[in-house]
Amino acid sequence: MYRYDEFDAAFVRERTAQFSDQVRRRVSGELSEDQFRPLRLMNGLYLQLHAYMLRIAVPYGTLSSRQLRMLAHIARTYDRGYGHFTTRQNIQFNWPKLKDVPDILADLASVEMHAIQTSGNCIRNITTDQFAGAAADEIIDPRPVAEILRQWSSLHPEFSYLPRKFKIAMSGSPNDRAAIRFHDIGLQAVANPSGEIGWEVWVGGGLGRTPIVGKMINGFVPNEHLLAYLESILRVYNRYGRRDNKFKARIKILVHEEGLETIKGQVEAEFAEMRGGVLTLPQEELDRIAAYFTPPPFEELPATRIDVKREKILDTAYGEWLENNITSHRMPGYASVTISLKPVGKPPGDASAEQMEAVADLAERYSFDELRVTHEQNLVLPHVRIADLRTIYNALVAEELADGNAGLITDMICCPGLDFCALANARSIPIAQSISERFASMTRQKEIGDLKIKISGCINACGHHHVGHIGILGVEKKGGELYQITLGGDATENAAVGKIMGPGFEAEAVPDAIERLVDAYIGLRQNPAEPFIAAVRRLGEAPFKEALYGASERAA
Amino acid sequence: MAQVNALPRQHRPDPLRALGVVALNGMFDEMDALGVLRHAVEEILPGDVAIVSSFGADSAVLLHMVSKVKKDLPVYFLETGKHFPETLDYVETLKTRLGLTNVIAIQPDPADLKRFDPNGDLWETDPDSCCHIRKTEPLEPITEEYGGWVTGRKRYQTVERGVLPHFELTSDDRIKVNPLAHFSDADVVAYRQEHNLPEHPLYQSGYKSIGCAPCTSVVAEGEDPRAGRWRGLNKKECGIHFDFNGAIAKPMVAVEKHRLFKDGAFIADPFHDWGEGDDAATAHYTHVPLPVFLEHRETFLANPHPLGLLVSPGERIEDVKDDLQRFASVAIKFPAFTDGRGYSTARLLSERYRFAGEIRAVGDVLADQIPLMRRCGVTALVVTHEPTRQALAEGKLAEVAIFYQPVGLTEVPVGTRPYLRRAG
Repeated sequence: MYRYDEFDAAFVRERTAQFSDQVRRRVSGELSEDQFRPLRLMNGLYLQLHAYMLRIAVPYGTLSSRQLRMLAHIARTYDRGYGHFTTRQNIQFNWPKLKDVPDILADLASVEMHAIQTSGNCIRNITTDQFAGAAADEIIDPRPVAEILRQWSSLHPEFSYLPRKFKIAMSGSPNDRAAIRFHDIGLQAVANPSGEIGWEVWVGGGLGRTPIVGKMINGFVPNEHLLAYLESILRVYNRYGRRDNKFKARIKILVHEEGLETIKGQVEAEFAEMRGGVLTLPQEELDRIAAYFTPPPFEELPATRIDVKREKILDTAYGEWLENNITSHRMPGYASVTISLKPVGKPPGDASAEQMEAVADLAERYSFDELRVTHEQNLVLPHVRIADLRTIYNALVAEELADGNAGLITDMICCPGLDFCALANARSIPIAQSISERFASMTRQKEIGDLKIKISGCINACGHHHVGHIGILGVEKKGGELYQITLGGDATENAAVGKIMGPGFEAEAVPDAIERLVDAYIGLRQNPAEPFIAAVRRLGEAPFKEALYGASERAA
Repeated sequence: MAQVNALPRQHRPDPLRALGVVALNGMFDEMDALGVLRHAVEEILPGDVAIVSSFGADSAVLLHMVSKVKKDLPVYFLETGKHFPETLDYVETLKTRLGLTNVIAIQPDPADLKRFDPNGDLWETDPDSCCHIRKTEPLEPITEEYGGWVTGRKRYQTVERGVLPHFELTSDDRIKVNPLAHFSDADVVAYRQEHNLPEHPLYQSGYKSIGCAPCTSVVAEGEDPRAGRWRGLNKKECGIHFDFNGAIAKPMVAVEKHRLFKDGAFIADPFHDWGEGDDAATAHYTHVPLPVFLEHRETFLANPHPLGLLVSPGERIEDVKDDLQRFASVAIKFPAFTDGRGYSTARLLSERYRFAGEIRAVGDVLADQIPLMRRCGVTALVVTHEPTRQALAEGKLAEVAIFYQPVGLTEVPVGTRPYLRRAG
């Protein structure tokens, strides 16, 4: 893992002191709320429906046990005993008091963490594959470059007041687990014909009220020129991105309105000026940063096959957990464990202080002290010995963290919704809860297989409903809450935006509607090996529309 | 040369006379200052030429030459009321030492002073207007009495004077004679030593170019000698050197607080905003909006006065990249502090186009953005927000002083970037 040196530590110290001064000036009235708002946002502090919300950066989703214990401490000391992991691999606390924020920031700094640029119209946390450095299918570990991008984008003087927020995601594997095509910039590791590894650059993707799949702007940018290329894109966006309408200010709109070729021309012209300049990244420096991410001292273990069938017979729940929550590792005898934060009937992504501490202990003992936060709001122990799985599972059971539903229908992404968020039009957590209760049977979930449901409480789409195989969007209609259903979204390398099926449903009708879609799929699939999303692509929307709005059903 | 002498004095340009002046410039050896002066006084403009002397640090050389040619040549001294006492002493010293018999002090109109500068501090807020009432106005009626003037200007003094000839024709058809045009600082010193001329009492204290006391400061070793005049104000020429007919802005009556923060202090701002009635040909010390400049580009380029450029968000600095050297100052507009387009403009100006003049931020300039602006190349700030003014004045900007990414021309070598920086 990356460790702060004196420079990083001093940077966070100065930034914390600067923010404390800003808070002081706000309190004394030197700063108006309008003047203060962008400053506090750039330090992760939101004003939510009920209270301030503090969002803390987890750079590229990587945590140590010490850091997770500190997050547990903060949850217990300053909040209501839990934290909420987000779709951008960060964690947020929903109930801190403004007066405690400087103390929280100081506690964070003591474990090399901060809340810088987790909000505001600036470059946000760089996200990546939760299995980076562990995945068997990885071309390269994207974290060293992600760390360099984190540094480059921290308090960038030219790009701190962009037209709108700016999100960058990277994938080191061809199987995109970071949704890079739905980011302002997506970086996909690729090898060129001579074997050199560089980056495919995607631009202008995004969800929100205008979901757009990103477009490839450059097929290969080598590491040494990556910063110059990104700075070129950011400069074009900063200068020409729309500022007249908040809802049209993301780079996706600029690319959409001007056309990829125009933007590409502008970016390439900037790049021609910057290429080879001060932003050139020397290999030695990349190597220096990469040294922080050298693989842990893995043991030489024999390749081990997990006999899921046998385990299921012996212990159904354990067998299902193995089947769904274990991902193959590039080292023989090792695996990555997904810890589901989607227990049936609980808000997705929440973890209590006790749970965080238990997971921290497991990471320290069994995973070389490493942890990951996934963009699907789960936690991951990236490097565990297969021989330790049973012990880990037993410990998770004790903390109610052993749900074996990763990737299944109840492993939903869900925004905080009207219960917590000032922007939301509708509740989303109760919808997720009612769906997970409906499909609580593990037999039923296994029968359905890989199905991603994503729920947003408003068109800002924090719950990524556009890329859910089934998406659910809460809207306000005639004073009530209605839920629109979309079908066919996909956040991976087969990126697609889901299509709206028709009129919305009332909250209590949503589980039935989902069940009708699921039943239709099971009836129509070629065989149990054909996943939901593949069946939707093959069959089109018609049979599913019919299932949803058949004559008997009352659609609002 | 009788032909030139015989030309009628008329107040419209005469191409033949212009040609005559071009020819005159070829007649003298570069260093033959005395020859130039003698020819002007005896041949071209007998009885029709005078000199205005500041009795400054190097006025002695020219006055010595005058005493060699014609001891009773009218020597006008602008008694602005703002001179150092040492300068007034020096007038007497030189008069006696050189035997000049026709030194005439001219003074500002008391009515003007009473009206526009009742407290004597106009120089502080509006130096242009101060020059106007204390120099240009009193001189104007006298300039009309003569067909030509002798000046002590030298090429080396400022960049703008780099091509100064011995003889010039002004737009109102008078001849300016610059005998010392080709003299260097060393030539002046050598001449003064050779003729044992008395020094201005302040010269040894570091004053190399001496004007009115409030607007003169000490010049550092190796610095442009006139850098001490109007220091920090982008002002290099006082009105009387531009053109005897030059339109100088009307004095400002309202005395405002200084809003321009530069080099660590709030100082008087010589620049004005572009206004409705402004004229591309005569505007000076004005930030011309970029689209206006493009529309009247030729006229602005022919305009001899110092000018600035105003770049607003959405305007492309690329469109004027070849003309940037024309401007003493570029103002970047931040209409709201959340509008970050100006940062890109500032970096392009300073990094890509290597603009060396003043880059100032105007508009919604607040304490928390100033460190970012400076990193992007901004060197001056126009600030109205009171807490920000205080923070600047007290040097108390809360900022993060170490940087991850290299920006600008000075952050490149060390301590800024994630790579090649030394840890610990």
